[in-house]
Amino acid sequence: MIITSAKPLEEILALLKDEDDIFIIGCNVCAAKLKTGGEPEILEMIRQLEKNGKHVVGWALPTAACSVRSFDSLVQKNEKIKEARCILVMGCGSGVSTVSSVTEVPVLGSNDTLSLGGSSEGKLLSGQCIMCGKCTIGEFGGICPKSRCPKGLLNGPCGGAVDGMCEVNRENDCVWTLIYNRLKKINRLDLLYTIHAPQEHIID
Amino acid sequence: MLFNFREKLNSSKFLVTAEVSPPKGTRFSVPLEDARQLKGIVDAINVTDNQCSIMHMSSLAFSKFLLDEGHEPIMQLTCRDRNRIGLQSDLLGAYALGIRNICVMTGDFPSCGDHPGSKPVYDLDSVHLLQLVRKLDSGINFAGDRLDGGTSFCAGAVSGIDPDKPLQLIKLEKKVRSGADFIQTQAVYDVGMFEEFMEAISYLEVPVIAGLIPLKSLGMAEFMNRNISGVNVPEEIMFRIKDSPDPVEEGLLIASETIKELMKLSRGVHIMPVGSHNNTSRLLSMAGLSGK
Repeated sequence: MIITSAKPLEEILALLKDEDDIFIIGCNVCAAKLKTGGEPEILEMIRQLEKNGKHVVGWALPTAACSVRSFDSLVQKNEKIKEARCILVMGCGSGVSTVSSVTEVPVLGSNDTLSLGGSSEGKLLSGQCIMCGKCTIGEFGGICPKSRCPKGLLNGPCGGAVDGMCEVNRENDCVWTLIYNRLKKINRLDLLYTIHAPQEHIID
Repeated sequence: MLFNFREKLNSSKFLVTAEVSPPKGTRFSVPLEDARQLKGIVDAINVTDNQCSIMHMSSLAFSKFLLDEGHEPIMQLTCRDRNRIGLQSDLLGAYALGIRNICVMTGDFPSCGDHPGSKPVYDLDSVHLLQLVRKLDSGINFAGDRLDGGTSFCAGAVSGIDPDKPLQLIKLEKKVRSGADFIQTQAVYDVGMFEEFMEAISYLEVPVIAGLIPLKSLGMAEFMNRNISGVNVPEEIMFRIKDSPDPVEEGLLIASETIKELMKLSRGVHIMPVGSHNNTSRLLSMAGLSGK
């Protein structure tokens, strides 16, 4: 799940300063789950924009804003999009990019896109994966140090952790402590002795 | 006759290293004066690399100034500010300018310093960086290409000293397996803890130079205990500082006693005063190490 957070209304109004006749596209996957782009949020956005003098021509809630086939497929969801002089996407950055690839009008995003994460037991798990391509998470007991250690260290912790808490944010566990505890639990502490090669940042 | 730091490392001499910070600006007379106070009493001087993520003159440039003044620098090099290309180009430049010793470390996160929003690099970690140095030493770069002139570095790394932190010990083992010639440690106050640490890593057979930060006040001791990973100022030392009419003097006395104990346990001491080295000479003579 892509973790997003809603931009403050003032910021969205500033983005839309010179725009009007707005069509809103939500996202019924991650953003809906995170309450940053589902139906209730879209309706609230319409209310707020209209309160601030903007005209909203219509809205649509595709299954996923990041999986839009064509402008025609958007028209099928709501013909009003043809009247739009601006589209506001209430999804992640990928949703905004996808929509902008099929339309000519300005496309803006209402959210900040934070990380790839998940949720479990009602708790949001942010920053679980950095989508680096080469996945070695299995060698760390299912806890990725590339994403969850702020320094992305692959061969053990830095010297900065105090009492098992991260140097960068003292409220977070040092992920290496989590990895250690996890590997101990599954009886695989031997994995800690592997010298991992640096990440290769190759874009295909 | 012993000449350079590498040769001394391979001897049985008890080593003394110290740490000097480059200036935060282009005037270098003050830190150079700091280094001058160490002339003839230390074996090598570490030059910090934007310590605590606070921007300073480059450790490479200041190491060269030290070299020109007849000191033997150990250029510190962190993984925070450069990718593998930058690290290699700085290492080649350093070697060509005559710098022979380096000490690698991960580096504090930028948020700790004066440019908290800067992009951290960490392309390599300290283990990789040691491997990279050993490649340059063999005449090839990290990509495997032959160099037009290689290096021959004496390369060290750093370590915490808490024997109850297995991850730190495993990482230290990786550093040694990756070619560390020496290890400089976090500040030692609890000699018993350091002894246990040395026992835990005795199989590694790497020269360990024990860190030392002379205490100046009770507040400083409390700060270290609270905020510095792996530093443990024992209660007994806290009481001594607290009860002393002259905490700076008491701190030096404690440090000199610690050095005497460490002479039985480590290959040397690494002195990191907070501020300048105006008391280092006296500290070393109190510990019986003056005049080398």
